Amino acid sequence: MSGPLGTLSELRDALDAGELTSSALVAASLERAATLGASLGAFIRLREPEARAEAEAADARRRAGRVLSPLDGIPIAIKDNLVRAGEVTTCASRILEDFVSPYSAGVVERLDAAGAIVVGRTNMDEFAMGSSSEHSIFGAVRNPWDSTRTPGGSSGGSAVAVAAGIVPVSIGSDTGGSIRQPASFCGVVGLKPTYGRVSRWGLVAYASSLDQIGAFGRSAADVATVLEVIAGHDPRDSTSLPEPSPPCVEALEADLSGRVVGLPREYFVEDGMAPEVRTAVRAAVAELEAAGAKILEVSLPHSEFAVAAYYLIATAEASSNLARYDGVRYGHRASGVSDLSDLYDRSRSEGFGDEVKRRIVLGTYVLSAGYYDAYYRKAQQVRTLLRRDFDRAFSSCDVIATPTAPELPFRLGERAADPLRMYLGDVYTVSANLAGLPGVSIPCGLADGVPVGLQLLAAPLEEAKLLGVAAAYQRQSDHHRARPPEEA
Amino acid sequence: MSGVPHPDYEVVIGLEVHAQLRTRSKLFSPAPVSYGLPPNHSVHPVCLALPGVLPVLNRRAVELAIRAAVATHCTVHPHSVFARKNYFYPDLPKGYQISQYEEPIATGGWLDVPVPDGDATRISRVRLHRIHMEEDAGKSIHDPAVVGSDATHVDLNRAGVPLLEIVTEPDLRSPVEAVAYLRTLRSVLRYVEVSDADMERGNFRCDANISLRLHGAEELGTRTELKNLNSFRSIEAAIEAEIERQADVLDSGGRVQQATMAYDPATGRTRVLRLKENADDYRYFPDPDLVPLVIPSDAIEGVRASLPELAEARCERFQVEFGLGEGDARILTESRPLADFFEAAAREHGAGQSVANWILRDLLRALKEREIEVDGSELSPRAFARLIGLVDEGVTTVKAARELVPHLVESGGDPEVLIRERGLEAVSDTDLIGRAVEEVIAEHPADVESYRGGEKKILNFLMGRVMQRTGGKADPGATRALLARRLDGEEGV
Repeated sequence: MSGPLGTLSELRDALDAGELTSSALVAASLERAATLGASLGAFIRLREPEARAEAEAADARRRAGRVLSPLDGIPIAIKDNLVRAGEVTTCASRILEDFVSPYSAGVVERLDAAGAIVVGRTNMDEFAMGSSSEHSIFGAVRNPWDSTRTPGGSSGGSAVAVAAGIVPVSIGSDTGGSIRQPASFCGVVGLKPTYGRVSRWGLVAYASSLDQIGAFGRSAADVATVLEVIAGHDPRDSTSLPEPSPPCVEALEADLSGRVVGLPREYFVEDGMAPEVRTAVRAAVAELEAAGAKILEVSLPHSEFAVAAYYLIATAEASSNLARYDGVRYGHRASGVSDLSDLYDRSRSEGFGDEVKRRIVLGTYVLSAGYYDAYYRKAQQVRTLLRRDFDRAFSSCDVIATPTAPELPFRLGERAADPLRMYLGDVYTVSANLAGLPGVSIPCGLADGVPVGLQLLAAPLEEAKLLGVAAAYQRQSDHHRARPPEEA
Repeated sequence: MSGVPHPDYEVVIGLEVHAQLRTRSKLFSPAPVSYGLPPNHSVHPVCLALPGVLPVLNRRAVELAIRAAVATHCTVHPHSVFARKNYFYPDLPKGYQISQYEEPIATGGWLDVPVPDGDATRISRVRLHRIHMEEDAGKSIHDPAVVGSDATHVDLNRAGVPLLEIVTEPDLRSPVEAVAYLRTLRSVLRYVEVSDADMERGNFRCDANISLRLHGAEELGTRTELKNLNSFRSIEAAIEAEIERQADVLDSGGRVQQATMAYDPATGRTRVLRLKENADDYRYFPDPDLVPLVIPSDAIEGVRASLPELAEARCERFQVEFGLGEGDARILTESRPLADFFEAAAREHGAGQSVANWILRDLLRALKEREIEVDGSELSPRAFARLIGLVDEGVTTVKAARELVPHLVESGGDPEVLIRERGLEAVSDTDLIGRAVEEVIAEHPADVESYRGGEKKILNFLMGRVMQRTGGKADPGATRALLARRLDGEEGV
């Protein structure tokens, strides 16, 4: 078996029918990861022996009639910012290059309990800071549709692992679009759940009030299956919501009649997005309408401040969250230091990459005495206004449709010298993080040989409704079935 | 200079106390709060600030903070926020301390503090500015004798231990007043079982802000902060030394610079640790890993209803109910276990003052010698009351009973049984006493002569001899009467 793996539901059916074993499936996944995955830079580390052993155990369970969950025996990839006991978690950073965690993330525990088999840890922007998956000590991740382009980021490796058919589903994290934007660039489905839906225990923090773990898959149904496994309250995360895991899969059958899809007028302005993106998104909206949805223009009047507010809050939190990497207890420590200050300066200078340093410096400035009110406090006020914008909009519509990214995947290296331009690419995604909303990016066509994504947003805790609309769209269209060309 | 107000300047002191809350686990981590464990043996991934860990607030710590706030007449806020105080130090694992900043759990209380004033005591009301919760840092160990090199080692057992920071308004006017406030605060925290408030163990620490101004001046002078004062004696001495230093600076026409100071007990002087030229920038911001702390008003009322009677109220009640003097009542109410013990024993015995005397004279000494509190002793209030009763009834002597107190403290037991077993019954057998008197008179003819010659004080000496001969069991009243009769001329018995 050397071709791309099927979807989660296809593979599960094959396992259930006895046409396939988990061992064979995991072997195929590992092989593809080691070849195609390596050429795309998708993985940081494969769990070669562990995954094979776990697959055998899954097969034994299945033979004994004790299947743990719809993910039992299914190969899955996780972003390298989720810790697992006894294994290295790097966050694609030199400062954590050799860091072995003594404990496991809540999500990792849930995947284990469900019988999912983690075949590898995926490449990413260092500490999840970036929109291109280029800022990694392990090298850039490449887009499987066009290897000269970025797969997006920061969860680029997880998006590529699904797009390239290495795994049917994968786990990423989304702070300002880090799941949805790479999903869009790679032509897969990427879900960022409601803030607090999925425990952040064991997710290496970038910006605590924005970070949320989510899933990639080939269909809305597949990410719904993963969400049901990973969501739910965790007392170890104070921001974890009390609600149990949402029953999403059942809700996917609903059709679109009576559903109202809102189009924010502020997002569809002239020059707001590349023409190819506009065309594909307009076509997708038309397909939703044709499938029975009502289209309504809504207003999110404070949208223009979202990117600024996002980069103030995210960098402020990051500057504090990353203070723990000081070379004292674990992680990279510079050698031959002369004193304490030298230990800090050199360990951190050597350990962090440029983009991380840029955000730490920005965030430190944002929180400084005399600037706090002008920047951080003001950004929090914007955040409140954005939440109100969405509350008002969702009183008249069920979901909001937007482009996921304003442009097509850019060329590798193209934005390295122009970080501000890269930041502006987050214009459609950051609002969901600031307001804590669930959002999903689904493929809505190709342009110039690369995918375009449609973003759908819903009110907090409305993942079932959100994925229901996505699934209904996918019953009408074949965009999510498109596969990148297989390299020779 | 000790304690005398400076003639020219008014002294202005504000205190910040860090009291460790009495919880089993840390403020945001399941690691146990321990004392005396080997370094880094009471840590959890949260205490180590490993990647991916998150804080979860200790509910018990919040309850204790509310208790402390209510007991000090503070307003408990229904909404408060934990903030990050960012700075780099090796014993601060996260690179920030979780504390409360803009929205503390409580503000605006007061304590009535009895301040010694000559032979009397006056009550001074000290206003509290705020109370907030925060986590402790770890410990840096620089001592080459411990570390074995010139390296610094870090012990994170203490990192994350829950603290209450209690800040006064600048209401204190002398070192004596400062210490009196600290004693009162410590008593309150112990009464409501919020903190062990044990200075030696470092769970009751004090920083003092000190400034001077001319009498009658409105504006406060430039203050300095005295750090890490760890005993009442050193606090008083350190504040006195700092007042002297500032007065000298001002007298010589200088200006006090804002600084953090340390006190050196060896020289009895304070010295500058570092000047505060600019305010430190800790980049405080609300901790996004924690949600605001919401305290329903019925929870606050529940705590208020469950608080025990505090020392001040109890001191007044003891004076009224048991007829005690203020000084005795104050000592007996300083700690809750002692006040509980007194009250139980006094009710059992019936005469409060007598029980108070026995406690103040004998029991406290026996406890102090063993370095324990009354609740750590084996002596029950009932047994103590019975012991005093046995003296009252003449079953045993004061002397024998006093000797039994240390034993009862250490091993407990029934005083009546112990007196019988040890043969400590008072001897009232006149034959036996008479024999002893005769023998002593026979053995000390010269002293008897002197007595009869007018040196009546010799009676005490002879009395002691008789008591010695009877092994201390003779009833002292009867013995003294007999001896005096015999010496004063009644020949023969």
